Amino acid sequence: MNGYGQDGAGPTESGSPGYGSTDKLGEQLAERRVLFMGPPGSGKTSILSVVFEDTVAYDTLGMMPTQQQAAYQMVAGITIYDFPGIDYYSETQYNPPNPAIYEGDYTSLVFVIDSQGDFQNSLATLFSVIRTAQAVNPQLPINIFINKVDSLSEELKQDVHQDMQQQVWKTMRYENLNSAYVQFFLTTIFHDDIREALSRVVQRLVPNHSSLETILNSFCSKSSLDKVFLFDVTTKIYLAMDSSPTDPQIFRFAFETLKAMDDVSQLCIEYLPPSDDGMMSQKVTFDLEGSIRVFVYQVNSYLSLLCVGSTQVIRQKSLLEFNGSKVAKAIRQILPS
Amino acid sequence: MNGLSISTKKKLVIMGRSGAGKTSMRWLIFSNYTANDTRRLGATIDVEHSMVNFMGDLNLNIWDCGGQHKYLDNYLNEQRENIFGNVEVLIYVFDLETTNKESEYQLYDDCLRNLAVFSPTAKVYCLVHKMDKIPEPEQKELTVESYRRALAKRSEMFQPDVFGTSIWDHTLYRAWSRIVYKLVPNMEIIERHLSNFRRLSDATEVVLFERETFLVVCYTAADADVPLDKYMHISQGIKSYRNACVHVQSRFQSVEVSNKFYSMFIEPFTKSTYILVITTDPEVEPAVTKANITAARPHFSDLAR
Repeated sequence: MNGYGQDGAGPTESGSPGYGSTDKLGEQLAERRVLFMGPPGSGKTSILSVVFEDTVAYDTLGMMPTQQQAAYQMVAGITIYDFPGIDYYSETQYNPPNPAIYEGDYTSLVFVIDSQGDFQNSLATLFSVIRTAQAVNPQLPINIFINKVDSLSEELKQDVHQDMQQQVWKTMRYENLNSAYVQFFLTTIFHDDIREALSRVVQRLVPNHSSLETILNSFCSKSSLDKVFLFDVTTKIYLAMDSSPTDPQIFRFAFETLKAMDDVSQLCIEYLPPSDDGMMSQKVTFDLEGSIRVFVYQVNSYLSLLCVGSTQVIRQKSLLEFNGSKVAKAIRQILPS
Repeated sequence: MNGLSISTKKKLVIMGRSGAGKTSMRWLIFSNYTANDTRRLGATIDVEHSMVNFMGDLNLNIWDCGGQHKYLDNYLNEQRENIFGNVEVLIYVFDLETTNKESEYQLYDDCLRNLAVFSPTAKVYCLVHKMDKIPEPEQKELTVESYRRALAKRSEMFQPDVFGTSIWDHTLYRAWSRIVYKLVPNMEIIERHLSNFRRLSDATEVVLFERETFLVVCYTAADADVPLDKYMHISQGIKSYRNACVHVQSRFQSVEVSNKFYSMFIEPFTKSTYILVITTDPEVEPAVTKANITAARPHFSDLAR
């Protein structure tokens, strides 16, 4: 977990241009990794800078094409690698990465496609990547982000989604590729959906994820809460949540709550001692009309539990705080930092 | 001062060329619009009147004047008495991107001339709007300064306050907080009592917000040098959180933060205000602060009445 923190969240350049560098890449990469790939200009770097560097979505418009692979550190040793755009048809520029990067049980591929770009070209690139990847790792999760859907109407979004899904499955069947690990997401950097999509990708890589889920489940039921999330506070990506059915709005709400929490605590930043590790046992309660209460309990300097429940339940706040502290302790033990 | 019980109605006129952002600004401050939502707004036809209840006993009568040529001519001629009579505050919005600065100033002069005739005691505020178009902070400062000089020369009688604003950041909230600060009657009393409250409850900072707009009404801090700007992003943050609460079919009510180093409350206070209290003294338990807020509530409610 070296280098994680305010400044560690930024990208660190790794690998150098040229042919020799790719040979060693497979070993250099972190064990738990997400590979961001896709045609040039599909929005890979934009997505990552919005999520990891808090860039305003509008500011990503004039972004330069990524020339070198960049890495973004996350909690629990998960690293997200941003690869330069892959253009299948311009053979001159494209220097395919070493297939070894696809190996490992904790590797996940995100392929970003511009929903308003050249579909056929993007798909050709996608299949060339899948072919290489499945040859080394047949069980590699393949997450397809259909990006830039912000300007599409609700109806058109569904059409694009279906169209893409059918084309991908058809071709995969035809080429005898394994489509069991393929998932589709509609994304845009102008909406929090992108964080939800990333959360679902990252969740599978979280160490001891099933134990975390069990803990959150029991916390949720024992404390009669509606929903519990374990959030990475800097990126606002959730690493785990209890397994009760999720209202799609609730994630958006949870995310906004964390943002409001940041806004509010910004005010007191001067009251924190300068040499602080960020762990200050912070407890935040949001009260809403109609008896909804949100309770955020700090686990360590980068993780927080976010619980949503009704006022009647959380009225016994001290009891909940006690439970929260026990759960936090358990999580600290399970999740190495 | 026995004006405490009188409900006051104040006329506030927003003027400026078409497309300057007058209506966007009004929706952002007085309704729960986000900066993005204002794209939906169309041109204002003639004058849009709205009545806003601010701080309980202060009713703001807002005249949002459409900025198209034909309306402007109309305001300055046939309707001049109607528009410029009994004005308490004139807010003139300059569009930073204007192509014709001379005609902009011309219009401003015309407005002030009329104002001098019909409401010589009015207070004038000039907002240099769409500051987000200038990226560098120093350049922003210079631009506002150049407007400030030009306007000071043109309007000696009114001595306007000039603010650089943008709907995309907190600057708009700052300008409006300053505007309403001057409007609220018995502000000195409220301020004094708030400062007493802070001392009595051993708090470090106390801020009073208007309930609907979440504009800062007044604040008091142990460290006297705390700038008003510090609280601006709270207004914005809470308002955007209010929008988020719609996702769970509810409304924001209060928030409480406590950790090893400080505790903070944002709570509904009187009928028309919210209060923010920060305590950094570890001796003062959060529950005590909460009890103090509850105890002070009836006192401040009486004050506002």
